[in-house]
Amino acid sequence: MIIRQVTQRRIAQTARLGLFVLVSTCGWSSVFIHWTGSTLPPARELGVSDLVLSYDAPSPLMQAARKQGYRAYVEVLPQQATEAATKAESEGWAGIILRTRVSERAQMQTILAGLRSAHPKLRFFVLDPDGKQPEMRGSLVIKRDAVLEVSSPTAQPWIDSNLALVRIEQGADSGQIPMYSFTWNPPVAGQPGRMITAADYSLAVAEAGAFHADLILELDAGLQKALSQRDPQAWTLWKQVRSYAEFYSHPAQAGLQAAADVAVVVDDLDSSDEAMNLMARHNIPFKVSVAANLQSQDLEGVDVVVVFAKPDKELAAQLEHLASQGKTIVVVDAHGSYPWQTQAAVQLNEHAVSYAVGSGKVLELSEPVSDPETFAQDIRRLIGNQNALMTLWNGLTTIAVPYREKRGGLKTVDLINYAQDPVRVQVKVKGSFTVIRYDSPERGGCRSLAPTSHDGFTEFVIPDLLIAGRVHLENQPAAASGERCP
Amino acid sequence: MLVYQKKYIMGTVFEIAAYDQSSQHASAAIDQAFQEIVHVDDELSNYKSESALSKLNRSAHFHAEAVPSDLYRVIEAAVQFSKLSDGKFDISIAPLVNLWKAALSGDAAPTLEQQQAVKPCVGYEKIEFIAPRQISFRSPCMQLDLGAIGKGYAVDRAAEVLRVSGIINALINAGGSTMVAMGAPPGQTAWLVHLRDPSHKIDPQVMLKDESVSTSEQSMPSLLGKNSPGHIIDPETGQPLQTEFAVSVIAKTGMMSDSFATTLLLLGPAQGRVLLARIPAVSAIWIAPDARVETVISGPQILFGGKA
Repeated sequence: MIIRQVTQRRIAQTARLGLFVLVSTCGWSSVFIHWTGSTLPPARELGVSDLVLSYDAPSPLMQAARKQGYRAYVEVLPQQATEAATKAESEGWAGIILRTRVSERAQMQTILAGLRSAHPKLRFFVLDPDGKQPEMRGSLVIKRDAVLEVSSPTAQPWIDSNLALVRIEQGADSGQIPMYSFTWNPPVAGQPGRMITAADYSLAVAEAGAFHADLILELDAGLQKALSQRDPQAWTLWKQVRSYAEFYSHPAQAGLQAAADVAVVVDDLDSSDEAMNLMARHNIPFKVSVAANLQSQDLEGVDVVVVFAKPDKELAAQLEHLASQGKTIVVVDAHGSYPWQTQAAVQLNEHAVSYAVGSGKVLELSEPVSDPETFAQDIRRLIGNQNALMTLWNGLTTIAVPYREKRGGLKTVDLINYAQDPVRVQVKVKGSFTVIRYDSPERGGCRSLAPTSHDGFTEFVIPDLLIAGRVHLENQPAAASGERCP
Repeated sequence: MLVYQKKYIMGTVFEIAAYDQSSQHASAAIDQAFQEIVHVDDELSNYKSESALSKLNRSAHFHAEAVPSDLYRVIEAAVQFSKLSDGKFDISIAPLVNLWKAALSGDAAPTLEQQQAVKPCVGYEKIEFIAPRQISFRSPCMQLDLGAIGKGYAVDRAAEVLRVSGIINALINAGGSTMVAMGAPPGQTAWLVHLRDPSHKIDPQVMLKDESVSTSEQSMPSLLGKNSPGHIIDPETGQPLQTEFAVSVIAKTGMMSDSFATTLLLLGPAQGRVLLARIPAVSAIWIAPDARVETVISGPQILFGGKA
């Protein structure tokens, strides 16, 4: 059993390395536009070069797309991929987008490797279609002419975000930039004529950019037509959206990787996992790994490891070792015999037991997570104020993602405000920084924010986060940094 | 026509659904109602350093501070609720809440000595009103927090703005914890509201017409810890409240339902009944995760849709 799993891991590692080499030309996350209209504006005007068309789109539209300067892709199911790739090569398409849920990826890497080997000139992407429209939700449920109100004990706003999905996608294949799409929610009663606004599109584009993911953006049919017909209002709207796409295409960000306080280990990937969704919602930076593919470096540099998998002997030993070094391990609903159980057990509550191991501990939760909100708050407490990479105040509608250089300290924090009304957010990051500069697509240009450093942390205030912004953290004399963002 | 809008204010999502013959008129009225809520927040927030409340908290220890009429009215009403509940409801509990906040985020719980040290800072009777609009504190460390009444006042003010604008059928919701129903949807007698049910078995509902409902519940206990503190502190003990109940209260105004929700959660069903015996037209329901239910009905009926 152990030998088989180790072998599986080695195969996965080899495949992962191979895939990284094949896809490493993808420098940065991008916005792809899903186009369904019959005519197109030129790519240079739209400011987006990657266009996704349906597989059965008429040939003249495909040709028109190329003539207008687009890289044209088609979105297909995995079983259509071979046929589509052959057609793509003969028709001059740029590549193929394979639409498949994260839970159905067992054979995907093999399929991709075969396709890339057979069609080296084509680009291949794997699309997760289970994204959500990013938004701040209310609690009213409105049906036709009736309003059904659900009262709640907490007034905390609910945010629909794609951060957990992106992390889960990275867990599926850390070598490829995650790609997702979502369908716009239908207008609710009371807003029957509401169009998708520039702010809605901008939030979607900004969210994907901030999370370092590729997004296939659905454009409303009316907007597509209006853009093709050079409608000035449509172009005013698009100009705003385009500014967000341009902001997140900055190549200086490409060398950074998401920082994490928590590593999550799972047996199977599930993009609807609520515990991870709530961790994202609570601004707990985390990364995801599949137990069968786990490498030792996947658990490095974090303070807490959450295990939603049943640890085998090798993983259990690894977890015990991490605990002995001061980490906190949380093992969820994985009944069995484990090495840390030789230590004295302390009953925390009806369902939780703690084992002290070296300078750390292992917590066993004997049942699945019954309340993801409380679980996320527990994980935040376990990280502790002394270790947390990032803390936000007045950030109830904000999701922030810290990025670091490989094996280095924090370099940037990307922030998204789902309320779309300006908020004043106070941020505390781990590390001492002398220069804090803030950049956003809304204002353009860099602004310096006043840092306050103490006890190895730096605090600063973003006075007016509207939809999106990026904080650059530097440690150099203010004069040396100038007024330009990196 | 039904018009629906939402906006993030006071750390929550305010939603307004209003019926009117003109959607433009309704939209304009809703915009004004949101502006009023923003105005209330600008006065009552203790997160905004320039709010009237923050200024009061900074200076009322030293001299009587003139405050805007909204703030005066809310603090005055809050003190009335404090008297009515023998101090179970107390807006001067902020120093104790702040003491426990660190424990909520993972730090050690405050020691008994620390708790004792802030007790002199707490006590509604130390708030002094100098009519018509001045307030002073008779404690050098007093701090007021209107979190348990402010949203109630905000929905009341928003309802008043809609009413003045000619809207008679609307629902105003402050993040689900407090809402005010004006009139009823067309063809119906009232607004149907499903109440919080931690047991998921009872499905309590209420038909609201020109009334308000608020819900209060202590934070859920930790899944991975011992004796995790909740966010609601009992002014009497200085400790986080220990209760499994969620409570919903229906009253005539948002300010009443909001402040009664916290008060009745702190009092529990037995003492809550005693308090409500003196208050007309208020209904309340306590529900535990094991489906235990206690009700007091002197206002709207509470209906049960589930299988208890």
